[in-house]
Amino acid sequence: MNTAVNESVAKSGDSSRPSGIKARFKSPVATPLRFVLFLIYGIPMLWIVLTSLKSPSDVISSQSSFVFIPTLDAYSEALSNSGLYTALQQSLVIATGTVVLTLLLAIPAGYGLARVDSRITTVGLGMLIVLQMLPQTSNVIPLYQIFGQWNLLNTNAGVIIADTAMLVPFGVLLMRPFFRAVPVALEEAAKLDGAGTFRTFFSIMMPIARNGIATTGTLIFLLAWGEFLYAVNFFLTPNNYPLSALLAQQVSAFGIDWPGLMALAVITSIPIMVLFAFTYRLLREGLTLGAVK
Amino acid sequence: MPHSIRRLASRRQLLFAAPAAVFLTIFAIYPLLQLMRMSVSDVTVSTLNDPWQYSGLENFQTDFASPAFGETVLNTVIFVTIVTLLGLAGGLGAAILLSKSGRWTGFILGLLVFIWALPPVVNGSVWKFLLGSSGLFNSIGLETGLTTQPIPFLFDDSIALYSVALVNAWAVIPFNALVFRASIMGISPEVFEAARMDGASRWEEIRHIIVPVVKPTTLVLLVLTVVYGFRSFDFIYVMTFGGPGVATTTLPFLGYIQAFVRFDFGLGAATAVIAVAMVIVLAVLYARSVRREEANS
Repeated sequence: MNTAVNESVAKSGDSSRPSGIKARFKSPVATPLRFVLFLIYGIPMLWIVLTSLKSPSDVISSQSSFVFIPTLDAYSEALSNSGLYTALQQSLVIATGTVVLTLLLAIPAGYGLARVDSRITTVGLGMLIVLQMLPQTSNVIPLYQIFGQWNLLNTNAGVIIADTAMLVPFGVLLMRPFFRAVPVALEEAAKLDGAGTFRTFFSIMMPIARNGIATTGTLIFLLAWGEFLYAVNFFLTPNNYPLSALLAQQVSAFGIDWPGLMALAVITSIPIMVLFAFTYRLLREGLTLGAVK
Repeated sequence: MPHSIRRLASRRQLLFAAPAAVFLTIFAIYPLLQLMRMSVSDVTVSTLNDPWQYSGLENFQTDFASPAFGETVLNTVIFVTIVTLLGLAGGLGAAILLSKSGRWTGFILGLLVFIWALPPVVNGSVWKFLLGSSGLFNSIGLETGLTTQPIPFLFDDSIALYSVALVNAWAVIPFNALVFRASIMGISPEVFEAARMDGASRWEEIRHIIVPVVKPTTLVLLVLTVVYGFRSFDFIYVMTFGGPGVATTTLPFLGYIQAFVRFDFGLGAATAVIAVAMVIVLAVLYARSVRREEANS
């Protein structure tokens, strides 16, 4: 979701605490309900994997929905297509480029807006919230025209810039509370020791806020990895599509090869899975700090 | 608080925001102005880079006159209502279930965060498949004899909108659940212990302790979920592309279709301007609810 950061929500709860409430007595409905919740979210995930292991003929006959002979055909076919590697590379370039550019802009901006309380700050924050909430389907219309004029269509730079413009407001609103949490006295002490504003920022504030930077970077990466609307419209041929755009294009086509598509979905998700494994904690906390999807 | 000192010393820290401000002015504000200019011009894909012909409010009039526009607005209202109600209720329910340590809790929590982290295009693809004529739901229905022929979840004009809205609600619940959960976990354990000593049941705990505590959070999430539902396009794009007909087209998606499928950029821009105006109203509501909550905390 898109959408916004909310310091107060973050303040009101700390999800890093293992468990605030201990189950003293067992509620009879809680466990079955939890199981239902598990099914609602677990089955779709299981189904992607199962389908990707089927042969196309198994998918069409509904009898073999549950019993079938697993095959890696869909994967070997997907992996033998050189287009996949190009798409994977495109995804990596676009997501990494977006993370770098967004952080370069959002970290200092988050700091500036955290430290100055003035009218400009209020107006700036309000504009960031509005920008963050704008429908992407509205942004893509003028950007397509502007990028056409500036020769940015069909380039990675165009997609990276568009993604960054979409994600900077989110990044700033997410970084700001991390800087605000740092006591002003710390900075004043640094200043008394003769450190300038820039030096204070780089050697005092940045290291303290590194958790926030990691969280923001991870979230930006996830969002940029999944973005497909700009990619589908700004790249003039599918040859340059990142994975997400390739998937979006294939799933809207007629006569879908489902095992192939699900294999592509799994391949698209693997980097997310790896990132998830390393940053679960950050994500869980970052999620409650700022919202995105 | 040494407010005055901070003020004197640090106005220039606003300079740190300058690069982002410049970037956003060029790549976010300027496009928005261009969108507005486009909405009052006669622009198609072939005249996109020529000087635009000013056409006044013609695009808006065309929009309002077309029956598809009215249907799209109605779709948007139904869609946003379903996503918001289910998203909030489901999110709170899941948060309450996961606020106690117990079997499954940690695992389900991980699953929810993972689903949230997955690209929407992946989740949309799976649901398109699950809801397809040979998908899981129809297979179960056919094999158990509940249905005699596949239900066209995504191909029937009267069902498709609800299917896509349900999937969108499914997708927003993990986020809402985590935010609700954070606010429930902020309640001190002593409060629950005291309630328990007074013999309160879990249901009474939910009604009298949890619900009042999460109320301000609900207000913020309400606006966020409405905005999420309103600007959501990925599931629509992947699952139905707005069809059949305009059955699953919401207002922001209509603008996209008009510009990139029907190549009428002027008309698409007009629809997009209406969508943007609605978002600005929501953003004001959001800013107010955040400020109110900050004042309370």
